[in-house]
Amino acid sequence: MTLAGAYVRSGLFLLTALVFHLALFSDLRVLGVAPEVPLAIAVTAGLVGGPERGAIAGFAIGLGIDLYLPTLFGLSALIYTVWGYAVGLLEERIFRSAWWINVLVTAAATAGGLLVYAVLGELLGEANLYTDRLYTVMGVAAAYNLVLSLPLLGLWHWSWPRMLGEER
Amino acid sequence: MATGTRTGRSRFTLIFLLLTSATLLTLDARDFEPLQRTEETLSDLISPLRSGADRVFEPVGDAWAGVTGYDELESENEVLRQELQKLEGQQILDSDAVIRLESLLDVLGLPYVQDIPNVVGEVLTANVGNFDRYSVQINRGAEDGIRNGMPVVTRGGLIGRIDGDPGLGHSRVTLLTDPGFEVGVLVVGTEDVALASGGGQGEPLMVTKGLEIDTEVDIGDEVVTSGVDRSRYPPGIPIGTVTDIDFDEARLLQLLTVAPSANTDSLSFVTVLLYDPLEEGS
Repeated sequence: MTLAGAYVRSGLFLLTALVFHLALFSDLRVLGVAPEVPLAIAVTAGLVGGPERGAIAGFAIGLGIDLYLPTLFGLSALIYTVWGYAVGLLEERIFRSAWWINVLVTAAATAGGLLVYAVLGELLGEANLYTDRLYTVMGVAAAYNLVLSLPLLGLWHWSWPRMLGEER
Repeated sequence: MATGTRTGRSRFTLIFLLLTSATLLTLDARDFEPLQRTEETLSDLISPLRSGADRVFEPVGDAWAGVTGYDELESENEVLRQELQKLEGQQILDSDAVIRLESLLDVLGLPYVQDIPNVVGEVLTANVGNFDRYSVQINRGAEDGIRNGMPVVTRGGLIGRIDGDPGLGHSRVTLLTDPGFEVGVLVVGTEDVALASGGGQGEPLMVTKGLEIDTEVDIGDEVVTSGVDRSRYPPGIPIGTVTDIDFDEARLLQLLTVAPSANTDSLSFVTVLLYDPLEEGS
């Protein structure tokens, strides 16, 4: 598959994931908490594609979800970019991971990403982010993303099949 | 060498994306209009896909809500059963078909809206993230005459206001449960204009400013919008009823707890009042 083909697949995957999140996953709440699909997308992109692709995917899905959130436009994009990059870097340098490590990393990175989102959002003047409920949100969303990480990792592998001679 | 080049390129990409995000954040914080128009356009582009997917997945969401919110459903059923019994009693009294039709129209109407033009909108999705519990999106926007700050009501009363510039065919409503939501209110029968603010999801509103200590207020009194000069809400929209009264001796004020009259938990349709206080004033 050509590089352009891989980017088209990735774009389609991101758009589909965004629409699914808006129409389906945001309604599947446990204790009032929905899965953080966009964050899981950024993290799994980093795990499968490395830091650069993680950052690009995080930025793109972050901008997409920012269109629908009342917080400042660009906040999710900023955090998901960093998260996709950081997880990709860790995977490349430290984990070189087995699938179960990737699953656990997705859950941990989800909880961490939400904490950073809340703290940074409050610093930028957004209200009601760092509240008592935050830890419930982190726990439930992490558990949700733990489950979702497996299909998402598979879909990223489909979007970016290892090309001949490509180191990633 | 190849790894070094790749690392350099990915660092460059990271810095570029971070700078872009920071620029967008800054522009949005300054209400940069071209950016807001771009956001609206992008959102409008995704809108048809989302609406289609909403329709497809609606039964799944409903089934999930039925499973996870079983206890809530039970208590809601109980309330509905009681209401049904009341209505059945009423039906016996008003057996004439014309009278029944009139009462149905009365239920559908919003008596306090009077002659204010309004638009009925459907709630697209309650919220899409875990940090936006105090807002909903509706399928009406600028092309329906909706503007930033317009009041949003249901039959129960005020539920919020339009937040930010709406898109062409959609807009965001900030709910009155938002702790940052403030509205000028009047306890029916008094003349003190006070300020009520949201208390959080599932919590009552609080009136902490403006109500003098010697003003006569009782538990159960109704609270409505004050509609004072330049208020963004017309007067007389129901807010709720007083459930608790406390006193701030230092500031010589009464502090009220107000149970909202409108339910914001399971909204399907809402009415946006196309009310512009400046036009009304002129």
